[in-house]
Amino acid sequence: MIALSLNNITKSFNGCTAVDQLSLEVPQGSIYGFIGPNGSGKTTTIRMIMNIFYPDSGDIQILNHPRNSIDNDRIGYLPEERGLYKKMKIRELLNFYGELKTGHRVSSEVDIWLQKLDLSEWGNKKVEALSKGMSQKVQFIATVVSNPELVILDEPFSGLDPVNTDTLLKAMLELQRNGATIIFSTHDMATAEKVCDYVFMIHKGKKVLDGTLNEIQDKYGNDTLRIRCENKTSGLKHIQGVENVHDFGRTQELRISPDIDPQDILKELMTTNILLSFELMKPSLHDIFVRIASAKEVNHV
Amino acid sequence: MYKVLRLATREYLAAVRTKGFIVGLVMLPVFMSGSMIAMMLLKDHVDIRERRIVVIDETGQFSEVLMEQARIRNTEHIFSPEDSSQVQPIYNIEFVEPEHNLTLQLGVLSDRVRSGDLHAFLHIGSSIIHPVGDPENAFADYHAESAALDDIRNWLRDPINNHLRRLRLEQAGIDEADIPDLFAWSWISAKGLLTVDDDGNIIDAGASNEIRAIAVPLVMMMLMFMMSMMGAMPQLSAVMEEKTQRIVEVILGSITPFQFMLGKILGGLAVALTSTLVYLGGGTLFMQWRGFEAYIPYDIFPWFVVNLVLLLFMLGALMTSLGSVANDAKDAQSLSFPAMFPMMIPMFVMMPVLKEPLSTFSTWLSLIPPFTPMVMTLRLASPVTIPAWQPWAGLMGVLLFTLLVVWAGSRIFRAAILMQGVPLKFSNIMRWMTKG
Repeated sequence: MIALSLNNITKSFNGCTAVDQLSLEVPQGSIYGFIGPNGSGKTTTIRMIMNIFYPDSGDIQILNHPRNSIDNDRIGYLPEERGLYKKMKIRELLNFYGELKTGHRVSSEVDIWLQKLDLSEWGNKKVEALSKGMSQKVQFIATVVSNPELVILDEPFSGLDPVNTDTLLKAMLELQRNGATIIFSTHDMATAEKVCDYVFMIHKGKKVLDGTLNEIQDKYGNDTLRIRCENKTSGLKHIQGVENVHDFGRTQELRISPDIDPQDILKELMTTNILLSFELMKPSLHDIFVRIASAKEVNHV
Repeated sequence: MYKVLRLATREYLAAVRTKGFIVGLVMLPVFMSGSMIAMMLLKDHVDIRERRIVVIDETGQFSEVLMEQARIRNTEHIFSPEDSSQVQPIYNIEFVEPEHNLTLQLGVLSDRVRSGDLHAFLHIGSSIIHPVGDPENAFADYHAESAALDDIRNWLRDPINNHLRRLRLEQAGIDEADIPDLFAWSWISAKGLLTVDDDGNIIDAGASNEIRAIAVPLVMMMLMFMMSMMGAMPQLSAVMEEKTQRIVEVILGSITPFQFMLGKILGGLAVALTSTLVYLGGGTLFMQWRGFEAYIPYDIFPWFVVNLVLLLFMLGALMTSLGSVANDAKDAQSLSFPAMFPMMIPMFVMMPVLKEPLSTFSTWLSLIPPFTPMVMTLRLASPVTIPAWQPWAGLMGVLLFTLLVVWAGSRIFRAAILMQGVPLKFSNIMRWMTKG
């Protein structure tokens, strides 16, 4: 069952193509991560899904209905920029957003969600009294309080500390367990790796990655060596077969050529360094993202 | 429709639950009628310092009569009847002979006025008694720092003109005593039209006074203006703020832009109608209590409400669409001026329309849709009877125009509401309106 289907959608603004011939299928009940550099077209895609922008061409199907025949009541949407009425009390605001979606009062659902996200005692406070993280959680509740079948979250973790990030992740997983499909855009690759069933990457308006994390990593193969050395690491990039070095301080990741035997690099490393650890691995999502985003030419999928 | 009403309810409650609304409800009419109230409060606060006035009389005929009239005034008319305290200033009139160099003399007197030594001086020309032969010297010039608004100038008019008549009669050999009613003035009373009731009886016309002729239409129009300011104008900055604070995108995740715009307009309409109810209801009760029920234009109320609703719809659509194109407070401010035209133009032409409600100008202006609600209400509230078809024609026109504005406004709103930082250009607005 497909929750969302995009078929060759294109959107331009003043002659500049923001989204170009994009196709995508999001299975129902999955968590789908949208990644991509700033200005790549993520938010435009999401706004087209939400019917805020109309695509110039192509069509969108949501929950097996053409986009124009299904209203937004079945979709929860958390925009990239947070928008809350500052003078309203939190409980009143959440009831308002919930009622706009459902057409009936949602007081009990509001209370349940406030409790889940540790905001019960803030219910009667005004929005302007909240910290950024709390506002984020309130905005999240406003998105899901109507119990939508499809939840779209644009950068839900920006500005959140690790504790609140985990709280939100827990809530997202609970929504998924209850049958919701979740699409979220993020720049946090570690979170995307941990949570997403599928990852989709858009770059310059075109799809460049789409699939499960394993599928994506398999395309690149075991081309990464993660090492720890005691000595200086300045000479690593001169080792034959090493294409790139990413120095994280305590560890270094070396991208190696596909035609080189990793054992040869290990031998070379052992002659020049005191090696503490050596691991042959698939590239991380972060590494794949950086490779694509910084490449001059990209293969579209 | 539930969503639109829910949004409208939020808008309404957000507006009326503030202290600003309550204060505004009380203060707005106070501000609007501030000068009138100030005049009423200050009418007894007269500067009673003595006024020294010098008269240069080239005819030599007016000294006696002006001194005598000033004496009568200073002894009989400047004291309060209740406690005999002085409530008006003494007029101290002093005559000086015209000098050879009259221009120099007038200059010296002007300097004395400027220095505060004199309040004013009056220069009576040599031919004032017989202006026909020498009109250039038939003048009475009152020179003061604020001559046009000076009460003394008005006071001088009657003694001088009455004395001129006496002098002319004397020279014609007519004894004033033979015509005792010579200086009896007749005032022309303003009366309405007589009517015939169902039994054929003639019903006398009531007095047509300023309250019915001017105050009622003015109050109706000012009320409509105030309600527009209260119900529609705030939409411009409210939408701009919601756009810049990104609230709009959250709302648009639940409702369509048209529903959003409609909810805002209805919310503003509800705010204005609440205030209208307070002002019209309160005003009616007050007039009934004070015994002025005859002046309450009950027959105008339905037209007033219908025109107000249409005006608020029209302005609401205009303000919300303009709010959607504004990027910041500066943009909103620059847009608010042209957006006020439908309200400002009727205010500018209020007096000519009121004076001649049946003129071609008044008729056509009241049939131009943006101005119809206010100008037609003004004409309807005036004492004259305007042709019955005109309010209906105006209503149809404004209804169609309002639909057009709502349609065009919604297209602009739809296109502009999520655009940040797009320069505020007329060409952009037109493009969004025509192409969506």
